[in-house]
Amino acid sequence: MSENHLAFIFPAFTSDYTDHPARKMPGFEVRFNDLLLRAARFIDPELAGFNFNGNTFPDDELRTQYLTYIYSCAASFLLRKNSLIPSMNAGYSMGIYAALVDSEAISFETGLALIRTAYHSLRKSLNNASFSMGSLIGLSREDILQLIEQSSLRVEITNQNASHSFVISGYRDDIQLFMKLATAEGALHTRDLAVSIPYHSGYLKEGAMHFADQISPLKIGTPKTPTISLINQMMMTSPEKTREEIVRNLFHPINWFQSMNMMLDQKVKQFIECGPSKGLAKNARFVDGNFLFSTLNAIPFPAVLP
Amino acid sequence: MAAITESIRNEVKEIVYSFFAEECEVEIAQINENTSIINDLDGDSLMFLELIEIFKKKYNLDIELKVIGKYAVKHPVTTIGQLVDMQLLIIEHENRLMEIDQ
Repeated sequence: MSENHLAFIFPAFTSDYTDHPARKMPGFEVRFNDLLLRAARFIDPELAGFNFNGNTFPDDELRTQYLTYIYSCAASFLLRKNSLIPSMNAGYSMGIYAALVDSEAISFETGLALIRTAYHSLRKSLNNASFSMGSLIGLSREDILQLIEQSSLRVEITNQNASHSFVISGYRDDIQLFMKLATAEGALHTRDLAVSIPYHSGYLKEGAMHFADQISPLKIGTPKTPTISLINQMMMTSPEKTREEIVRNLFHPINWFQSMNMMLDQKVKQFIECGPSKGLAKNARFVDGNFLFSTLNAIPFPAVLP
Repeated sequence: MAAITESIRNEVKEIVYSFFAEECEVEIAQINENTSIINDLDGDSLMFLELIEIFKKKYNLDIELKVIGKYAVKHPVTTIGQLVDMQLLIIEHENRLMEIDQ
């Protein structure tokens, strides 16, 4: 690892751009609009209608993913332009695609194709059944597993954000029932994540295999910036491992808490959340260590234009 | 389990007020016991959790989060004053918090 001890963190997806953190970043709007138009030409002409203060496609899961991805790619490009060069990258959940673009393992257009192919492969495999995801704070992994087992719920733990902060995926009815049970058990907070695909769960294995077939022609290289797997906390060190990670990331549980700790073990001292949300920066308060976790609005920029 | 003295009461109040002033970027003078954590300060559950962790460390408390969660279901906290009172109960009763109602 190089000496700068900096990691770029690429969040999943959000549709909330209120006071988005890159709004004062010099050159951001120019770079974002450039990438937006490239994406509109390449994958979805409707994207050109996006407006930070207007149409953000809040109810469209696929476009929401494209837009967060575009935002993240624009932000990390400008950070590098400003000589902020990461020694490590991490993509949180579907943030993996932007992380791999920044690491030069895939092109911007390949990232778009991966997002589209993953979404359609997974949706098709779910056969119109109703799935969802949820997050909860305040229970332990053992408490959660016990609740799932006691009521035979079709729900899986699919991510751990902190010692008592988890994400679950599964059938929508069972997620909703689980949330009620978790509150009664003492969860301090539960939230329906309002998505229709149960990411990182075994329910997506069939769709992920279809996805793997579909993306076989796409060019995927080795990340030039070390990029951590959220599944096993290892680096993706070859094109094969990177491709495998892209596929497994869809149907295998991830662990953000362990990934943060692994990066801290690797002497990362500063993290920058390269995306429109501040959620991961908030979550970092519950990770022990001597580090700084910044959002884009906290980075002082000299005026550098792309 | 600690007896709540005036000194502890003042300290807890000061920590809570300072915490929300910093987290929510408001002047501490703008916060009072009737301030709504969500409506006035845009606070969230992560802040609540962070405060609990602060007090757990500061007073070396033996309390499980789910005990606090169960108590909070029965006694919802919406204002800064209620939050201070709950933190004092947590400090005083720790894992026996639910026994207050019995």
